[in-house]
Amino acid sequence: MFSKLAIKNVGKSIRDYTIYFLTLTFGVCLFYVFNSIEAQQAMMIISKSQQELLSALTEIMGIVSIFISVILGFLIIYANKFLIKRRKKELGIYMTLGMEKSKISKILVIETFLIGIISLAIGLIIGIFLSQGLSVVTAKMFRANLTQFKFIFSSNACIKSIINFGIIFVLVMIFNTVSISKFKLIDLLNANKKNENLKLKKVWLSIVLFISSIICLAVSYYLIIENGILAINMNFYLSLALGTLGTFLFFISLSGFLLRVIQLNKKIYLKNLNMFVLRQINSKINTTYVSMTMICIMLLITIGTLSTGRGLSDVLTSNLDATTPFDITIEDNVLEDEVISNTLYQTLEEEHVKLGDIAANYSEINIYDLGVKYNTIILKELLDELQLYGSDPGEYSVPIMKLSEFNKVLGQLGKTPIELKENEYLLTSNFDQLSENYEKFLKSNTNITIKDKTLISSTKKKASYTINTYPMFSDLGSLVIPDEMLIGEKSIKRVLNINYLGKDEETDKIVRERLDNFEDIDFSYYYSKIQIQEQSIGLSTVLSYLGIYIGLVFLITCAAILALQQLSEASDNQERYRLLRKLGAEEKMINKALFMQIIIYFMMPLFLAVIHSVVGLKVANQVVLQFGQLNILVNTITVAIFIVIIYGAYFLATYYGSKSIIKANK
Amino acid sequence: MEKILDVKNIEKYYGNKGNITKAVDGISFSVEKGEYIGIMGASGSGKTTLLNCISTIDTVTAGHIYIGDKDITELNSKKLSKFRREELGFIFQDFNLLDTLTAYENIALALTMIKSNHKEIEIAVQEIAKKLQIEDVLEKYPYQMSGGQKQRVASARAIITKPSLVLADEPTGALDSKSARMLLESFETLNKEMKATILMVTHDAFTASYCKRILVIKDGKLFNELIKGQDTRKQFFNKIIEVVTLLGGDNNNVL
Repeated sequence: MFSKLAIKNVGKSIRDYTIYFLTLTFGVCLFYVFNSIEAQQAMMIISKSQQELLSALTEIMGIVSIFISVILGFLIIYANKFLIKRRKKELGIYMTLGMEKSKISKILVIETFLIGIISLAIGLIIGIFLSQGLSVVTAKMFRANLTQFKFIFSSNACIKSIINFGIIFVLVMIFNTVSISKFKLIDLLNANKKNENLKLKKVWLSIVLFISSIICLAVSYYLIIENGILAINMNFYLSLALGTLGTFLFFISLSGFLLRVIQLNKKIYLKNLNMFVLRQINSKINTTYVSMTMICIMLLITIGTLSTGRGLSDVLTSNLDATTPFDITIEDNVLEDEVISNTLYQTLEEEHVKLGDIAANYSEINIYDLGVKYNTIILKELLDELQLYGSDPGEYSVPIMKLSEFNKVLGQLGKTPIELKENEYLLTSNFDQLSENYEKFLKSNTNITIKDKTLISSTKKKASYTINTYPMFSDLGSLVIPDEMLIGEKSIKRVLNINYLGKDEETDKIVRERLDNFEDIDFSYYYSKIQIQEQSIGLSTVLSYLGIYIGLVFLITCAAILALQQLSEASDNQERYRLLRKLGAEEKMINKALFMQIIIYFMMPLFLAVIHSVVGLKVANQVVLQFGQLNILVNTITVAIFIVIIYGAYFLATYYGSKSIIKANK
Repeated sequence: MEKILDVKNIEKYYGNKGNITKAVDGISFSVEKGEYIGIMGASGSGKTTLLNCISTIDTVTAGHIYIGDKDITELNSKKLSKFRREELGFIFQDFNLLDTLTAYENIALALTMIKSNHKEIEIAVQEIAKKLQIEDVLEKYPYQMSGGQKQRVASARAIITKPSLVLADEPTGALDSKSARMLLESFETLNKEMKATILMVTHDAFTASYCKRILVIKDGKLFNELIKGQDTRKQFFNKIIEVVTLLGGDNNNVL
């Protein structure tokens, strides 16, 4: 009998449940998709290291999923609380009819269970289909070939989703039971009577608050733009605090301020139902500014993760070909007491790391330290800024290379060799951020004193060569000087660049195995092109998936909260709109008013979040610039598509939901 | 005199075959411009149904209702909305003010819906507020007002569009006797000074005694008609009491 009642209830209140249902389904679906990544490899050919990356990715997703399920858990409990609130009267009637609280709890438990099962099933089904699509994306990101289409089902992800959401549903049930046991009959029956205090604010107060919020935000923007996001210092925290405070004040005062401003223009204010719509929004925001602030900040995170996650991954992969000119670069730091008699290549040959059979060509270059510090070639302001990325780079030594060796490397690269007179040097750097600095430096006094001899630059422009394989452009600035200057000097590092005979993965694997097995600690590290590409691709996949995963969940959370807040008001609205109808407002007018009310409510936090993120992304870009240029247009479009689809879906669900609630009691 | 409202033999049935309730059963009457007419009857007599039919909130089963020269039983829903906006003013028992709007805005709303010029709105609201003595509550919200003030604000809203007919459904029902008296005096002012035609439904003899003519309804049919004529209000009140007693009602509803 109770289950019958519960089933009927679910059927009847399907309208109320739409948002709840939508959210659950989205949640389950995302959860499944991002946990099913490991199973996707069935569809593509990937190397062993990529397999390792994929399992690392799975592991990271698993850890993030815990965080995600906590958020979803809170959201579901919040949504559920709203449903209970809407049904207080109904529950009250059950109680007056003599139903015990435990029985009511039982009904609710059955209802939660039903909804849970249905949404879990639908979410999983959609998730399974979506994960097929995601595997194509994964394959593309891994630059792997799709073997053949296989229908992928990840039982791991499925079980994980069921367990996770099962726990959430159990929590919801416990929450319901507890809150029902606290109910008082009188409150339940009177629940429909409104007792919301309209908090009124003085005109001047809302204007003062609004102005101070703008000031807070402006100062916060200024601080973060000046400071950047890598320096976690007082200014950084101050900027965050002011930003939050400003957002909070903004929402406290916005509706009041807007109301006053529009009231001044009677022509707009006293037109159709404008006045009514404004007041509706005003009264709602006056009670929800805290959640508005939270939603705004979450939307900011959404936009941030969605755009930079993808953007960073683009950046990480876009320069890969340029940063890896050789198949492998082996570097060896020369110890102070080490005696160098051979080249690095010969040393390796002697130590039975045969490279002759795989190397098509190779070049070797020595790096010297002649006491030239970066503070002689980088302007002081810039050095202060560069400090962000580590300790004081001004005190670092500028690497110095021998002209003949440098030209050999250029020869291997197929570039024209350079020429230097005996009192000249060549400045080269592939670090874009310093281009301007070097331009200035080379235009002014270019004298550098090395070993008591003053050298001048051979060119008016900075050269930009990439002479080793490395994950990113990392040459802050190096000098090439004539050979004679380096006679008798001991190098601090030897760099060996090799191109393979074969370009395939097998060769790379063999070389790396040989190097890995070589246990002499004298030589330090190697960077292989294939390895770097795989790692960057892996890292970029992790970043973009994380960005999308977290971004989407946050977006859903925000949209769902906004939707629930609007719907929870719908019963009050029902009365108001009924009255408007009585007074002769046409359906069209009423729908328009409702539409305006909901869209303004949805757009407000988004609007501020977009402004925040414009500033945020500008700052983030400064960091990303080290690795390369972000493609802003593509990212903006991606984020916009996500927001339009999800935010739009919730908006429409809210609009049609409210419309039918309002219509219900004609 | 010009006829504002002409009700012709209307019927309103509820229920289906075999179980029909005749809420209104063949009522005809007419109201002339500038009249102040009351409809009385015990609860369940059909007076609220009658009012709902006239106010176009409900539809009739048979018969015709003419307001001005329009047969409102023939209008479609869009035209009905327009008609309600432009030709009718409503005053409800429970005020029905929008809780999010100030008194000023509640009154102005009726005008903004018929797309009046904003300057005219300003002037009209101030004018009506002065007549109904609610100037000092214009900036207040409904929850900050007394019942009497709320009802006068509602009256102002009903009358501000200069409707052909003002319909009042138990306007004093939720008021104490002092506020009720003030409201009824306001109605008289509106009727006399602004030439508003008012149709008021009530079951309260005291309230009814302010009207110039009273229709008494019993079991969905016209039972009696009382005309104030040259009587004082007190005499008229006594007449009403007589009829109410005749109705078989008790004296509970008599003040």
